[in-house]
Amino acid sequence: MAEPLLEVSGLVVRLGRGRERRSILHGVDLTVGAGESVGLIGETGSGKTTLARTVVGLHRAERGTLRVAGTDVTALRGARLRAFRRSGVVQYVFQDPLRSLDPDLTLGDSVGFGITDPGDRVADALLAVGLDPALAARRPGEVSGGQRQRAAIARAMIARPRLLICDEPVSALDAATRVQVLDLLSGLCAEHGIGLLYISHDLGSVAGITDRLVVLHHGDVVETGTTEQVVTAPCHPYTRLLIGSAPTVDGGGMGRAERAELRAQLAHAPNGKVLT
Amino acid sequence: MLRSVVASRTGTVSVAVLVFVALLAVAGPWLAPHDPLLQDPQAILAGASAEHWLGTDNLGRDVASRLLAGSTLSLVAALEAVAVGLVLGVVPALLSVHLGRAVEWLSLRLMEALVTLPFLVFAVAMTALLGNGLQQAMLAVGVLVAPGFYRVTRAAALPVATAQYVEAAVLAGASPWTVLRRHVWPKVVPAVAVSTASLLGASLVIVSSLTFLGIGITPPTPTWGGMLATDLQYLFQRPFGPFVPAVLIVATVWACNGIADALRDAPALSAERKVAAHVG
Repeated sequence: MAEPLLEVSGLVVRLGRGRERRSILHGVDLTVGAGESVGLIGETGSGKTTLARTVVGLHRAERGTLRVAGTDVTALRGARLRAFRRSGVVQYVFQDPLRSLDPDLTLGDSVGFGITDPGDRVADALLAVGLDPALAARRPGEVSGGQRQRAAIARAMIARPRLLICDEPVSALDAATRVQVLDLLSGLCAEHGIGLLYISHDLGSVAGITDRLVVLHHGDVVETGTTEQVVTAPCHPYTRLLIGSAPTVDGGGMGRAERAELRAQLAHAPNGKVLT
Repeated sequence: MLRSVVASRTGTVSVAVLVFVALLAVAGPWLAPHDPLLQDPQAILAGASAEHWLGTDNLGRDVASRLLAGSTLSLVAALEAVAVGLVLGVVPALLSVHLGRAVEWLSLRLMEALVTLPFLVFAVAMTALLGNGLQQAMLAVGVLVAPGFYRVTRAAALPVATAQYVEAAVLAGASPWTVLRRHVWPKVVPAVAVSTASLLGASLVIVSSLTFLGIGITPPTPTWGGMLATDLQYLFQRPFGPFVPAVLIVATVWACNGIADALRDAPALSAERKVAAHVG
């Protein structure tokens, strides 16, 4: 396996204040190697986004270790954290580009944000994601959803990251654009040797571009393995339920009775909770 | 922003009125045909004439000259109060959003306390404490209008501070100051501009009210509010006396509110244009 770029070990995250404070991640272990692409799957509320946000320091870890390119991110504060972020080692692509790009800034300004000497780098970054550099003068509201997400990817890529975290980047796109963006992401990561942590609840979009899968269920990793292994021979009932619940064109997939049986199994599975 | 304001008819008229008033404020003292403080015992409460265009007041002073000379002080006083309110309202509001819960709690309680203060009692108490003068009175007015700026700024800054594009900027290593300058401030400016225009009108009324009560600007210095107060005492002798200062005050307040309305509608106007340009 490639050298670990992201090492997450025993990660515990609690969010909220006072009585509302509750545990979201209960000791998650995860690694992503350089040039490796790892898919993090789970249903809504399983803690995928919390894990990703903790990796980039948007949430604080209560316990556990979290190292990105050998740097203990949990120990960084203030100016040191900002300096680490400015180094561009890890970049984040948000789910909805309409919300992650400032509506008042042009795409060029957003892509070049934080770059001290943008020069031609903005145009190059836009070209690299298949966008016409002339779009740099447009605002997010003046381009299509696919172009927006490509611009968001360009913003991440311009920093020349070693680890790219994508939080459901294609969930707001139509099927054709989704495939284009997925191809773009996997191509860029392969070309530059970037480690990819791809988060999604949609197994279809994850399976095509990842080497390994990590299945997260109510804040616990319940299964991990190569993508082929997890998709073709899932061990945990929750993984089987996730795969069986994915819609298919021919209307096949898992029947209602089978899903009910898996839910019943989940009630007794380690770390599993009854799905309602 | 100015282009958006003059795009509407109300905005255009409001800007024209304010430009006229601003010209009065700048050139008024030089345009005055007579010394505004010069008393003429022979022409007390005289009507309009070629020599005294708007007549004279109870001490025989030329009303037109006093109106022109009083423009500067009336507007400067209102601007001063608004400037104090801007600093005391906008800065704590932005800090409350970005400097954590302690600052947020403290500034919110402080503003709530200020809102509960009765305006006139506070203004009188401030001038009693610091001495009766323009600066003291405008400081009091500024303190009292600060919560208005605070609430508007905070309401505009809060959603921006938690927006994903701000998180993206933070992840790019942007400092709080950079986030404030690049992302928050441009979103806050339209709301602050609307409040400034609106509270400028309100401050002019407050300045006039305080002058009416003898707080702040003291006689014989001419101001619109002070002239209104004096003329009202001689309503039977000069029924149209209070008319001109009242019209100037009302017109300025109306123009400020008109600009505030135009500014408020400006983002919608620009958004419509943006969509039209894109579709086209």
